[in-house]
Amino acid sequence: MTDQPIGPKPQLSRDELADINEVALWAGALMLSGGSETDRIEETVHRMGTALGANWLDILVSPNAIILTSSSGEEFRTSVRRVPILGVNMRTLDEVNALSRRVTSGELDVHQTRGELARISRLPRYNRWVVVLLVALACAAFARLFGGGLTDMLVTLVASGAAMFVRQEMQHRHFNIYLTTLVTAFVGASLALVAFRTGATQTDIPLLSSVLLLVPGVHLINAAEDILKGHLVTGMVRGLLGAVIAACIAIGMAVAMWIFNLEII
Amino acid sequence: MNPDQPILFLVEDAFWAALAALGFALLFNVPRRLLIACIVCGALGHAVRQMLVTQAGIALEIASFMGALVIGILGYLMASRLRAPAIIFQVAASIPLIPGAFAYRAMLNLIRLPNAESAAGSVVLGDAAFFLIRTGLILAAIAAGIAFPTLLFQRRTPVHD
Repeated sequence: MTDQPIGPKPQLSRDELADINEVALWAGALMLSGGSETDRIEETVHRMGTALGANWLDILVSPNAIILTSSSGEEFRTSVRRVPILGVNMRTLDEVNALSRRVTSGELDVHQTRGELARISRLPRYNRWVVVLLVALACAAFARLFGGGLTDMLVTLVASGAAMFVRQEMQHRHFNIYLTTLVTAFVGASLALVAFRTGATQTDIPLLSSVLLLVPGVHLINAAEDILKGHLVTGMVRGLLGAVIAACIAIGMAVAMWIFNLEII
Repeated sequence: MNPDQPILFLVEDAFWAALAALGFALLFNVPRRLLIACIVCGALGHAVRQMLVTQAGIALEIASFMGALVIGILGYLMASRLRAPAIIFQVAASIPLIPGAFAYRAMLNLIRLPNAESAAGSVVLGDAAFFLIRTGLILAAIAAGIAFPTLLFQRRTPVHD
């Protein structure tokens, strides 16, 4: 045994390791809440931490928290950070990915990296009305793919646009994710059923297309990806989350059908 | 949409799938510079699936796997070219493949179940199970197709300190 630190990197103090932990965890938290798969989070956090001076990092990603231990010579520190489940944000994933590349090339130090993470976490989303319009058009496109005609598409456009508006309002007020899904599905289905009742459409295509904006696609795909890559716990939880959201969509639709007293189309 | 005219059918199919992928890309806040790539992946993946289903008569589950495989490979190539995580292209593009109609039929039969007579009940239950299982199989096929290229190309050797 020697007193020399393992590897060529200089020995860091406890405070320096704490800084690295904070920055690396922040990057990981942004990725987890933005909807990244577990494997990528572990890889990025590890790369950033070692590029910033730590000798080694071990990362444990759980569905709503990240734990990491970094080490430098004989010194080591462990930190935990809770991560709330927020909306999917691919722009955050793209920016953290680019940042990780810059950190790995040695371009940025800990303080500059922290500044960049602060910038990334404040990036704006698309204008909400643009999102409402394009999501409504996407649902109308689904109506067409399911074999609907022009009327079905128009009904879907209006119903899913209104549903998306309600969803944004509820998300803005930080309502529970399941309640938001349920109410949104109810609004979309109700409007589609109004069109059915007035005779504007004869099929159930608008009804099923208007709630598709709620499909938990990211959760389900991440679930499969995590399970296939050996992160069984996070994969199971994400799959369960997707299934519960799907159940909420179904309940919202069922309540709408019950209120409109419709014995199944 | 008329499958008897294959080319026209597939072009129209690709157009609507592209629109669906674009809408979800905006919902997922995909950066502007990557939107085109999402649209291309979404349109091609769905068109390939519909081509296999309507022209070759292949089961929806297998066709979905092939469509998702196209999305997975394209997403993987675009990711290295545009220097962005592959999942950005793959998620928005695979949304049009999701079997919304099957999930809806499964749900309809499930809510019918409590009021069904015992004889009708087994029919309703059978229908519910049929659509629920097919929804699950198609979802699994999509996920496997997307993940396949990453599993194939991105192998990592175990590392030790």
